[in-house]
Amino acid sequence: MTSTPTNITSSPPTTAVSSTAANRAGRLAVRIGIASTLAISGVIHAYLYIHGYQYIPTIGTAFLVQASVFCALGVLVAAGGPAWLRWAGGVASVAALAAFALSRTVGLFGFTERGWQPSPHAAVSVIAEVLTVALVTASMLNSRSKTAAT
Amino acid sequence: MSTGRDPQGMTRRQLMVHSAWFGAAVVLTVAGGEVISHVAGSTGAAQAAQRARPTLRFAQISDSHIGFTGTANTSVTGTFTEAINQVNGLGFTPDFVIHTGDLTHLSKPAQFDQVKQMLTGLNTPHIFTVPGEHDSVDDGGQKYRQAFGAGTRGDGWYSFDIAGVHVIGLVNTLSFSKMGGGHLGTDQLDFIEKDVAPLSSDTPVIVFSHFPLFAMYPDWGWGTDDATQALSYLRRFSSVTCLNGHVHQLFTKTEGNITFHTATTTAYPLPHPGDGPAPKPVTLPAGKLHDALGIREVSYIKGQQTLALKEQKLS
Repeated sequence: MTSTPTNITSSPPTTAVSSTAANRAGRLAVRIGIASTLAISGVIHAYLYIHGYQYIPTIGTAFLVQASVFCALGVLVAAGGPAWLRWAGGVASVAALAAFALSRTVGLFGFTERGWQPSPHAAVSVIAEVLTVALVTASMLNSRSKTAAT
Repeated sequence: MSTGRDPQGMTRRQLMVHSAWFGAAVVLTVAGGEVISHVAGSTGAAQAAQRARPTLRFAQISDSHIGFTGTANTSVTGTFTEAINQVNGLGFTPDFVIHTGDLTHLSKPAQFDQVKQMLTGLNTPHIFTVPGEHDSVDDGGQKYRQAFGAGTRGDGWYSFDIAGVHVIGLVNTLSFSKMGGGHLGTDQLDFIEKDVAPLSSDTPVIVFSHFPLFAMYPDWGWGTDDATQALSYLRRFSSVTCLNGHVHQLFTKTEGNITFHTATTTAYPLPHPGDGPAPKPVTLPAGKLHDALGIREVSYIKGQQTLALKEQKLS
């Protein structure tokens, strides 16, 4: 019975290769997802800045900073930057969502807006930022579980 | 001998790689900001304002409270004079200047005389006003209308067209809502409805009032109880800009195509909404008062949906 040991030793490498490829594809998908959602939020804020928000005191500057930071992070994450760039994107998205919530409640630098105005930009931007946070969180949990396993 | 590894475990090579990514992030952010600013400048009012004269340019001053005495501002005439000089020093002659109410503090004839005299120092062809509640303390705005009501309708409201823009001046300080806020009344609501009915929806509309036309802080009366009705007549317009005074601080709010901008004051600051039991004059530390006072410059360029606002602290 020499076939059993042969089967045992030949089977695991095949599984490992496919598993590694799947992991790699998964990581790439998450990375592209984070980059895309960051870029979407950045582009929307740039559009709003160009089309009127630049004239709102403080908020105009905040939109410009948000747009340029998010677009830059999106490009660098897509280019395969280190993990801290993705974390920075996640933290920035949380901050953007907090600012959005403030602007709908107590106001932000004296600026308030109602509901999902301007539509559909507000809703799309919030969805993008929530997705960024979710993907970054998933990415972090995944890397932590791998670290724990090794 | 150096091993190239710092105490935290990062090699020099790793440090350089991370530094490079950080540098790239900074460079891309700055470059992106530059590009967006450039695009905004080339498509928006900013560049047009630099290259060509805007279709309409005016200045807003508010809440001069001539006659006020208190520690919050020991010389409201002095700061109002500075505001007038600052408007005159804008570098252009505004098409008009709007004072959004509380010209006087107690509606005294001498205070109306004084503020009217001071306003003649403005270098502008037209001066418009709307009354504040301090301008109608004891007579329903009669003295105000004697001083500033020429050519107005009803209790002092009016409208006019200038450079393709429709401007409406409202009076929401003669009767108060239950919470002490502004009220327009049926006569004025009828006026608004009929006034804007013939206008095409792409006509830019600017509305002046003293109390905000949105519920900024109803507990302090910072709102107008029947403004929703008035705004319903304006929602079809692609650009509506509401400028008000009363709250002595800058605040912006947008609702669809309607944008509200509260103005600061030339007299004294009030607390932020909810800070304290009531909106009483705030006495700032020495040297800080001018930072809380100011004027506003407003520009409109034909074809633009929004007006460009530039706030200036009192210098």
